[in-house]
Amino acid sequence: MVELKDVSVTYSSGVDALEHVSLKINDGDFAFVVGASGAGKSTLIKLLLKEIDATSGTVSVNGYQLDALKKREIPKLRRTIGIVFQDFRLISSMTVYENIAFVLRVIDAPPKYIRKRVPYVMNLVGLKGKAKAHPDELSGGESQRVAIARALVNDPKLLIADEPTGNIDPELSYGIVDLLKSINMQGTTVMMVTHEHELVKRFGGRIINIEGGQIVFDDIMEGTEYET
Amino acid sequence: MKLSGLRYLAEQGVENIWKNRMMAFASFCVLLVSLVLVGISVLAYQNVTSMIGGVEAKNEVIVYMKDDTDEAALSQTQQTLLNLPNIAEVNFYSKDDAYLALKDRMADYDVLFESLGDDNPLVDSFRIKIQDIALMNKTVSQIEQIGTVMKISAPYEFVSFLTQLRTVLSWVMGALILAMVIVSTVIISNTTKTSVYSRREEIRIMKYVGATDSFIRIPFFVEGMITGFFAGCGALLITWIVYDAVTNILNNQATLLNIIGVGSVIPFKEIYLPITLAYLLGGAGIGAVGSAFSTEKYIDV
Repeated sequence: MVELKDVSVTYSSGVDALEHVSLKINDGDFAFVVGASGAGKSTLIKLLLKEIDATSGTVSVNGYQLDALKKREIPKLRRTIGIVFQDFRLISSMTVYENIAFVLRVIDAPPKYIRKRVPYVMNLVGLKGKAKAHPDELSGGESQRVAIARALVNDPKLLIADEPTGNIDPELSYGIVDLLKSINMQGTTVMMVTHEHELVKRFGGRIINIEGGQIVFDDIMEGTEYET
Repeated sequence: MKLSGLRYLAEQGVENIWKNRMMAFASFCVLLVSLVLVGISVLAYQNVTSMIGGVEAKNEVIVYMKDDTDEAALSQTQQTLLNLPNIAEVNFYSKDDAYLALKDRMADYDVLFESLGDDNPLVDSFRIKIQDIALMNKTVSQIEQIGTVMKISAPYEFVSFLTQLRTVLSWVMGALILAMVIVSTVIISNTTKTSVYSRREEIRIMKYVGATDSFIRIPFFVEGMITGFFAGCGALLITWIVYDAVTNILNNQATLLNIIGVGSVIPFKEIYLPITLAYLLGGAGIGAVGSAFSTEKYIDV
C-alpha cells in the first residue's frame, strides 16, 4: 500500500515539486498517474523509492514509514517495489536472462530458485527464447518486456511503471499496458505514470492527475477499450 | 550473505574484467607504470644510501698511542675502544708494521732510513671503523679521553661532505618518491573513477532493485584487486629486468666499485622478496580499494 499524507517537496533550488499531496493506493489497485512534464510525477516516484525525502508530511510504502527509514534499510524497501523505466535501463553487458536474474542475486535467492523463477517470468511477459540475447539485439517492446520481467521477478508488492510506453510504438504500448493489467490481476499493485492521455482513456480505471505539484483529479473513469 | 552469493559476486568481478576490458586494460597500464615509477625510485634511493654507506665504510679513524705504552696497556686500550658505542671495527697496527710499510713506500729514500739505524720513530696505532660517521665527532671526543692515546687522525672534512651529501640525497629522493606516489595516486584515482563512471548506470539500476552497497562494491573490489595484482606482476618483471641490467653495468665499472666498495650495489636476489610482496600486495590493494571507493559517488542513490 502507498499512502502520502499532506506531502510537500521543495528542492534546494527553491522549486516546489509537490504541494500538500495526500494519496492512498491500496494493495491490489491499478492506478494511472497522469500529468504534463514538470507536474511532479517523477518527484512522486523518487519519493516512493526514497531517492529523495519529503520536505513535510509522511510517506508510507508497503509498510515502511519512509521518513523514519534508515539509510541501510532502503534496499529492503526497494526489494518490495518493482520499477520499470521509460528508457528500459537494462545492463548492456548482460544477457536478457542475466538482466532478470541479478535482481534475485541481490536478494540472495538460492541458485536453484533463480533457475526456475527466471524462465517462468520470461515466459509470463512473452520473452521465451530470448534468454541469451543482449539488450542491443532487442526491439523497444522486447526491451520493455525485459524491464517488466526484471521488475516482477522478485514478486514485488508494488510495481511502478514510469512512462513504460514512452519509447515504443502505440500498438506495442497497448500490449505493455495489457501486460501490466494482467500482472495487477494476479495481485500486484501497479502504479503507471504516463502523459499519454489517449492510452489512459482507452484503458480507464483509477486516474490520478497531477498538475503543478498538486493532485487535481483522482477518480475512476470508464475505459473505451472495449467500445471499439 | 550466503557463500553462493559471495561466489557469484567474486565471479562477477572476474567477468567484469573481460566485459570492460578496455577500461580494465587502462587501469592495468596506469597501475603498472605507477608501481614501476615508485618501485624504481625506492630502489634507487636504497642503492644510493648503500653506496654512500660503502664510501663511509672505507674511512678510518687512526688512533696513535703514546710511545711508552706497553703490551698490556695496548690490549686494554683495544678493549676500551671496542666497548665504545658507534665503533664497528678496531684493528691494531704495530709500529714495526707501520715502519716496514713506510720503508716500502719510500724505497727511493734509503739514505734516510740508514741514518735512523735500528731506531723506529713511529708509534703503535689502532685503525678504527665507525658505524655512523655523522656521530664521528662525539666518538673521537670519547677516544681522546683514553689516557694512552697520543693523537687521533680523522677525515673530518670528508665525513662532513658525506653527511651533507646523504642529507641532501635523502631529501631529494624522498621528495621524488613522494611526488611519484602523489602523481600515481591521482592518476590511479582518475582512471578508476573513469572506469566506474562508465558503469554508473549499472550501479544506479542495482540500487533501484534493492542492492546493498556491499553487493555493488564487492565485484568492483575483486575486479580492482585482480587488475592490480597483474599490474604488480608486470611491474615486478619490468623492475627485475631493468634493475638487473643497471646493476650489471655498475658492477662492470671497476673505478666506481673502487670508490663505493664492492657490494654497495644491492643485488636483486637480496631484495626480491620484499619487492615482490610490495608490488603484488601494493598493486592488489591499491586496485581493490581504489575501485571500491570510486563507486562512492554513484552508490548514493
